[in-house]
Amino acid sequence: MIPDLEILSPCSVKEVVELLSKNNPDTKVIAGGTDIIPGFLIDSNRFRDINCLIDLAAVDEMKGISESDDEVTIGAACTFTEISRNKIIKGNLPLLSEAANVIGNPQIRNRATIAGNFINNAPCADSVPPLLVYDALLEISSGEATRRTSLEETLLNPYQTFVLPNEIVTKIIIPKKRKNYYGTFYKLGRRRGVAISRITLALLLLIEDNKIKDMKIASGAVTPIGMRLHELEESCIGKSLGKELFKGVSKNLGRKILDVTGLRWSSHYKVSVVQQMIYQLLEKLYKEFKEAELEK
Amino acid sequence: MYKEKSEETVDKFSIVGKDVIRQDGFAKVTGQAKFADDYRFHGMLHGVMVRVPVAHAKINSIDYSGLLNDPSVTTICDTEDIPGAKKVGLIKQDQPVFAFDKIVTPGDAVAMLVGKDEKKLRKLTSKIKVDYEKLDVLSDPLKALDKNAPVIHPDSGSNLIIHYPLRKGDIEKGFSESDFILEEKYSTLHVEHAYLEPECVTALPLEGNSGIKIIGSIQNLYTTRKIVASVLNLPLANVIVIQAELGGSFGGKDDIMNILSSRAAVAALKTGRPVKIKYTREESVLESHKRHPYVMHYKIGCKLDGKINAMKVDIVADGGAYASMSPFVTWRSVVQATGPYEIPNVQTDVKAVYTNNPYTGAMRGFGSPQIIFAQESLMDDLAIKLGITPAEVRRINGYKNNSITASGQKLVDHDVNLLKVLDRAITKSGFTNKWGNNKSLNEDKNSITIVNERTKTDNNLLITDKEFIEPENLIRKGIGLALSFRGCSLGAEGIDTTAAYISLQRDGKAYLLCGLAENGQGLRTTYLIVASEVLGISVEDIIYMEQNTSLIPDSGPTVASRATLMGGGAVKSAAEQVRSRLEEVLKEEWDLPKGSKFVFNNNRIHIKNIPEKVIDFCDLVSLAYMKGINLAALGWYQGPHVDWDEETGQGPAYFTYVYGCQVAEVSVNMGTGEVYVDEVYAVHDPGRVINKLGAEGQVYGGVTQGAGYGLFEEINVQDGFIKELNYDQYLIPTSMDIGNINIEFIEGEETYGPWGAKSLGEPTLELTAAAISNAVRNATGVRLFNLPLNLEEVLLKRKLHPDDLKRGSA
Amino acid sequence: MKSNISFTLNSKKVTIICNQETRLIDLLRDELELTGTKEGCSIGECGACTVIFNGKAVNSCLILAGQINNSEIITVEGLAENGELSKLQKMFLKKGAVQCGFCTPGALISAYALLLENENPTEEEIKIALSGNLCRCTGYKQMIDAVKSSASL
Repeated sequence: MIPDLEILSPCSVKEVVELLSKNNPDTKVIAGGTDIIPGFLIDSNRFRDINCLIDLAAVDEMKGISESDDEVTIGAACTFTEISRNKIIKGNLPLLSEAANVIGNPQIRNRATIAGNFINNAPCADSVPPLLVYDALLEISSGEATRRTSLEETLLNPYQTFVLPNEIVTKIIIPKKRKNYYGTFYKLGRRRGVAISRITLALLLLIEDNKIKDMKIASGAVTPIGMRLHELEESCIGKSLGKELFKGVSKNLGRKILDVTGLRWSSHYKVSVVQQMIYQLLEKLYKEFKEAELEK
Repeated sequence: MYKEKSEETVDKFSIVGKDVIRQDGFAKVTGQAKFADDYRFHGMLHGVMVRVPVAHAKINSIDYSGLLNDPSVTTICDTEDIPGAKKVGLIKQDQPVFAFDKIVTPGDAVAMLVGKDEKKLRKLTSKIKVDYEKLDVLSDPLKALDKNAPVIHPDSGSNLIIHYPLRKGDIEKGFSESDFILEEKYSTLHVEHAYLEPECVTALPLEGNSGIKIIGSIQNLYTTRKIVASVLNLPLANVIVIQAELGGSFGGKDDIMNILSSRAAVAALKTGRPVKIKYTREESVLESHKRHPYVMHYKIGCKLDGKINAMKVDIVADGGAYASMSPFVTWRSVVQATGPYEIPNVQTDVKAVYTNNPYTGAMRGFGSPQIIFAQESLMDDLAIKLGITPAEVRRINGYKNNSITASGQKLVDHDVNLLKVLDRAITKSGFTNKWGNNKSLNEDKNSITIVNERTKTDNNLLITDKEFIEPENLIRKGIGLALSFRGCSLGAEGIDTTAAYISLQRDGKAYLLCGLAENGQGLRTTYLIVASEVLGISVEDIIYMEQNTSLIPDSGPTVASRATLMGGGAVKSAAEQVRSRLEEVLKEEWDLPKGSKFVFNNNRIHIKNIPEKVIDFCDLVSLAYMKGINLAALGWYQGPHVDWDEETGQGPAYFTYVYGCQVAEVSVNMGTGEVYVDEVYAVHDPGRVINKLGAEGQVYGGVTQGAGYGLFEEINVQDGFIKELNYDQYLIPTSMDIGNINIEFIEGEETYGPWGAKSLGEPTLELTAAAISNAVRNATGVRLFNLPLNLEEVLLKRKLHPDDLKRGSA
Repeated sequence: MKSNISFTLNSKKVTIICNQETRLIDLLRDELELTGTKEGCSIGECGACTVIFNGKAVNSCLILAGQINNSEIITVEGLAENGELSKLQKMFLKKGAVQCGFCTPGALISAYALLLENENPTEEEIKIALSGNLCRCTGYKQMIDAVKSSASL
């Protein structure tokens, strides 16, 4: 049931932060509302006792996508429709573009915002694995102070992020240092149209002399929160590409996921599939690399 | 359309079989169509249910004191307010309008808050305190008949709802004379209708509380009228049931609407004001009935030449908390359990049992999708065992003209087009080559079996080297078919009659109404086509009347794919009556020679071979009106005699049958278990196609529903509770989840129905899951026995459940 | 909290006093008596309540009245002009894309929103555009055909 509410419509980040600090736990920010409003209906404890919403629709500072020589900046209130169609994103962050394209359905993508996707730190937030492999940074404002921190450090535990009650994420900043990387995003759902993810993976690979120079891998849905798998990445640096390596990486990923999650009811399925699919993704990227080499 | 007949026969119709825009189309595309929740009435109150989160309990008392003097609550209704029957049901009266002695499933409501503000009422439901004692929960239908099982309805003595035996020939002899035996077990899960419109109904007291008017999302108006009348203790005529535009039903807006209408009616009479009940999606899924889960044990004895000599079928259906339609659903199963195959020795036993699970009842297919999945899986395995194709094994055993069914019925009075639909589907889809190629490619490399074995034997979740699939082998293709026969209309379930009323106005326009109801399938359009064909007027000249039980005789329920056959028959009869009266007028007026042939076409009547004899339809009607001729008629259509022996399961179960074959082509992702249906070829014999757009719509929609049933629709009931209460958890196919559907209709000679038109709605759905499963078998080399073929089933050959680990079965 | 809400609805200015937490769907159906917009799930999964909000298809069950000031909204009632059906509506009828009709308004709006942005969509684009509109009757085929034919007119 939707509670009685006051809805405020500030026009600037400054006003938003003032309202947040003036108000109290009963106040929450709303953008697309695609999480909060269903949350009200099921009486989710995440949204209980709220009596005031701050609508970000008029805060232009939190919108828009821009790029400089070294970074791409995405307004926290950008919708997934905007992100999936934006040329800057398509050119620089194709994995994010792909993920944005398969979140929810068109109506949801027209409303749901990028910050709204990760701010609750739900395990199945599809944009998180791409953002993690792109080393996304967040700009978080609390009025006078603005801090920059990595998304990875902000994602603490399931449904818990390190953003204080008087703070708001205003921008997502992504360093542009991914030239020559091969990358892919993978999502598995129970049907093709609109489905909660069973597994998401994002993978970036830099190849030099047929060896892995750099690798970034992040998972979602199959881990309790979206997470980067640093140990796995490091273990691959310098290794020669090929089936042997890919099979090893797959098994290590399976091991790592089991370490993180323990044995769950879904493990027999998910762990088998995640190993099989990371193998497929590695093979796919390797094939792309070989084809590109041939063209050279 | 595939033209089996000469052009002349096909073209003898002016509108039958052609594309006609649906009668309610304009209202529906402009948002003007009024569904149940679109009605508002002065002084209207809302009803909100009070439930207890328990699956099985004895109710000691209900304490309303928390709501005394609450201004938001106009009144509270519970069983004490019911003047008549406190428990209802079309077949067994076991379902309370408000639960009073026991709660037997979590959907049960104990009371209803009534007031002006629905939102406020919803917040107040927790203030009612129900004192109850929990009872042991029975969730496994296979344990329902155990001696120590809790008895859900003590009045019934046991948890057995119904047992249908069928005996033909000598089963033991049949097996002993067979060359080999095949035996398998199959299962299916609860499935939700998932009509887009949640239930909604408003009850309005008639003047002086003399009766009640119900307007709602109701599929079977006469059933609702009967139940409400029994609850209110009123004569049938004092209960008027009107159908709002119905936002989908598929058998679903049946029992639940009887119950909701009863509750709204009780509250309306108590308050003297209109009372509306509108369900949320969650309430709808929680309380409404589902498709039956079946556990099926099939055993066949076969000769080396491919002839099936004996078939033994044992089925247990989970009826859930109430009998509902279980006795009729399982009866269709017993009639059709052995499929469209002529088998000399048959022993079938179908039982439906009570559990504390959500109750199960009518859903499009009605006891056939489950058995077709089992029987068609087994037929394919038989073909593989014999080293012949799936089509060959079906040709050897399939029904032909004059075949004898399992219930001893000789198939006469119609073309038995079983092998014709099979052959067309085979040719159209290029089945034989594709099936053979896939089979030889896919039989040997069996990664699914490896995953299954590894994860089953221990908790070794790390993939072995041989399990890695090379990218080019990740997706495999498969093709599969399924074949069925289906009894048309109600069969020996009950009285099978339908009425239609037509009334010509003096300007040549007409009113039309049939007692069967529009559920979205387009029957009003079909009836307009029938009347229009008979009278030679345009469908736009006929106004379809409001669906109202006080305007037209009880025509039974709109179920069993009977609307075109039975309702179409009644409409045709009504239209022919007025037509013959018009012909009489002309005979007199024109002094025609004996045997003159009237042609009613294009809003004109002329006499064949006498070109100068022509009159406009409106002029003729006007003439007849001036002569005082009765221009209204009631059409009546009665199904021929059918019969069933409850002891032996023998008798002419249905008066006619339809035949269908579907072929599915699938892509299976061997790494994830994803199955995508690339193509479906659906070849059906509906007797005759009246409403072409509507008929094709039935096939597209039925196949898509059937694909959902085959692949991902499932409700996992845990101790009586449902987790999948909304569309985020209960997945139905979206626009992205179904490939091409190729349709072909084969028409045949038929004694019954308007110009031989029979049934189509349910046959379209019942075959798809079975065809998909056979295609997955063809793609992977692995036979799967449990619907749906979800990700886990395909990859691991079993289902996983959130409480698997708790139960220690991991 | 009650407040004054102004917006454009089917090309007409509307000002209404209502609770800010009122969902847009309730505002349309209960306050403005535009009952063409339907409610099927209340959580943004079924699309029966789809309306166009500032040029985009959205679920009106997930928008609150306090969020719609100065916006432009189009509902199914706004698709026909002076009683003349739009070509999209005509094609829905001609192709048999309508059965029970409960999902029809939402599906029409999603298709209309697609055609606003993309005059000549591919079949895949049409399927994606309709993927947030569940239909239990039609199997989608005729809807997809209707959008395709409407685009090519």
